[in-house]
Amino acid sequence: MSNVSLYSVAYTLSSVLLGALAHLFPAPIHGWLISGTVVTALAAVIFAAILLLASMLNTILLIWYERKLLGRFMDRRGAMHVGYAGLLQNFADGLKLFRKDTVRPGQADPLGFWLSPTAYMVTSLVIFGLLPISTGWNGGSLPLTLLLALVIFSFAPLFIFLGAWASNNKYSLIGGMRSAAQMIAYEVPILLAVVAVVVLAGTFDLNTIVLEQRNYWFWAPLFLALIVFLTGMLAEMERIPFDLPEAEAELVEGWNTEYGGMLFAFFMLADYLRALVGSILVVLLFLGGWTLPSYVPAALTSFPLAGIVWFMVKTYLVFGLFVWVRASLPRIRTDQLLRLGWMRMVPLALLSVLLAALVVLSHCLPLIGCVPSMGG
Amino acid sequence: MSATPEESPGREEKPFLWVTRPLATAAKQFVKSLWRPSTVVYPFERLEDPKFRGEVAVASGKPIGVGEIWDNYRGVHALNINTCISCNLCAFSCPDVCIEMVTVPGGDPKHPKKCPQIDYGKCSFCGFCSDACPEGCLSMTTRYELSVHKREEMVYSPARMFEVYKSKLPMNPIRVERPANEDQILLDPPICIGCNACSRDCPTQCITMLDIAKPTAKPGEKLPKRIWKEPVINDSDCVRCGTCISVCPKDCLFWGTRQ
Ligand code: SF4
Ligand code: SF4
Ligand code: SF4
Repeated sequence: MSNVSLYSVAYTLSSVLLGALAHLFPAPIHGWLISGTVVTALAAVIFAAILLLASMLNTILLIWYERKLLGRFMDRRGAMHVGYAGLLQNFADGLKLFRKDTVRPGQADPLGFWLSPTAYMVTSLVIFGLLPISTGWNGGSLPLTLLLALVIFSFAPLFIFLGAWASNNKYSLIGGMRSAAQMIAYEVPILLAVVAVVVLAGTFDLNTIVLEQRNYWFWAPLFLALIVFLTGMLAEMERIPFDLPEAEAELVEGWNTEYGGMLFAFFMLADYLRALVGSILVVLLFLGGWTLPSYVPAALTSFPLAGIVWFMVKTYLVFGLFVWVRASLPRIRTDQLLRLGWMRMVPLALLSVLLAALVVLSHCLPLIGCVPSMGG
Repeated sequence: MSATPEESPGREEKPFLWVTRPLATAAKQFVKSLWRPSTVVYPFERLEDPKFRGEVAVASGKPIGVGEIWDNYRGVHALNINTCISCNLCAFSCPDVCIEMVTVPGGDPKHPKKCPQIDYGKCSFCGFCSDACPEGCLSMTTRYELSVHKREEMVYSPARMFEVYKSKLPMNPIRVERPANEDQILLDPPICIGCNACSRDCPTQCITMLDIAKPTAKPGEKLPKRIWKEPVINDSDCVRCGTCISVCPKDCLFWGTRQ
């Protein structure tokens, strides 16, 4: 499992492809084609393509998963007819959206209007590429991956606001404004919760953070931080109960009111991609990433691709939690969100930073006991 | 002014409950519907299917009481072509004029067998036709699925309704009783010319033309030009369809009570 990495797969694929292609050409081109640079370049492209495919497939699956889960929460079945249990329904929906004409309102600003969905999508994809899914599946190991991911994650309201402003529609604009206002409420608690994790792990590198959880997953000492992070992520993804910018009851469709067809599909996909990324972050930071506790029988952790499988299971469970919240809670108001963010989440997050510091200093875990090797 | 929600006793702000209670409710619902949500996957299972009721609904602990279609449901008509006597009563009684009597095989050239054909584009499912049918061969069933692709498919030919009959669906058992002292067909003898039209067209063949004595003409009197026969109606067989009245060229048959 650990010696098969995504990049090595891409590299092998690339060299095989180029090797086969090179046979068709005479010497100079042949040599150039199988040179290291070209093979590496193609490998990078293949790598990116695999990432793109994986992210899109997962996103669409996630939509299906949410529809089914939400159905059960509401005592109904969700999509049923296209594919097995409606599995292909979203592909059909996507196909329909992609075939539609994209209409730009006459008074809308073309640059902002086209740019915003694209940027929204691209930034979401970039975060997905940054996050390690398993030991083999790793887009890149920078020392500050976590910070980079969070920074890109918080770009979104910017693009939402851009698109909303460019649409030249009052509902879009209100939605965009709300999105920007909402950001003030959740960014600080999220970062503070992450600080708690970082204090415990001693690094910003996601790979190391996961490895640091080999003895205990971070949610145990940092339960408060987990709650704050989950809530903040809900707001970050703009999902119910924090979907103020969309608020279809008041704002038509919020900031994407004017977007239709393919652009709407872009927003939709990016929304769920962000939900996926948010769930992945929760799994990485608090739930031990692709690792399982040591008391789990080895048979469950040693089959090929076990890391990815367990990671995905955890991610989907976390997303299930978000769906559960969506099925239960009503949307709250902006002032309530701000109050929640500043008066509840920030103190809780600060408290969990304190807890993390205590754990590191005392090498002790509440409820679990003292382990000398504990803490970053 | 009444108390605002915050002030009223049961609803003071409990932020923790405010979040956890809905979560618990949703979780309960989720667990309940994990095995089987309430949704009936309609084209594949129907509430009234014995299989659905017996194995699915009851097995999952929620027998659905409303599932059975009421016996008195007025759905698609079933027509037993074999017992239809082509009396036309159904077509007469239809308030929406959606019944057309069409020829079906089985009659003789003189008496073509005609059975109702119903246009469900017009039918209001009032059930008058099945009430009127003297033979009980036109009846309404519990079939409620009437969607079709084309307008023409909404017209149910007698053969099609015969298929419905053969599917042995539960039929609407409620039928308006005929009043005991129903009017009969009466004859105004002096006008009758003995033409045999009523006897010929009576669907139940309950009219017999009997010979009557030809009166001897008094001097100067001109005997009417007629056949010296008169219809005699077997009242117990008469279904009161009125065919005889409508075919009578002299309007000498009428509804009434024999004194
Ligand atoms: S149910 Fe009523 S409307 Fe329909 S065919 Fe019979 S008499 Fe006519
Ligand atoms: S009322 Fe009954 S017997 Fe008479 S024509 Fe109609 S279906 Fe036939
Ligand atoms: S009403 Fe006339 S035609 Fe109809 S059954 Fe009676 S006698 Fe025959």
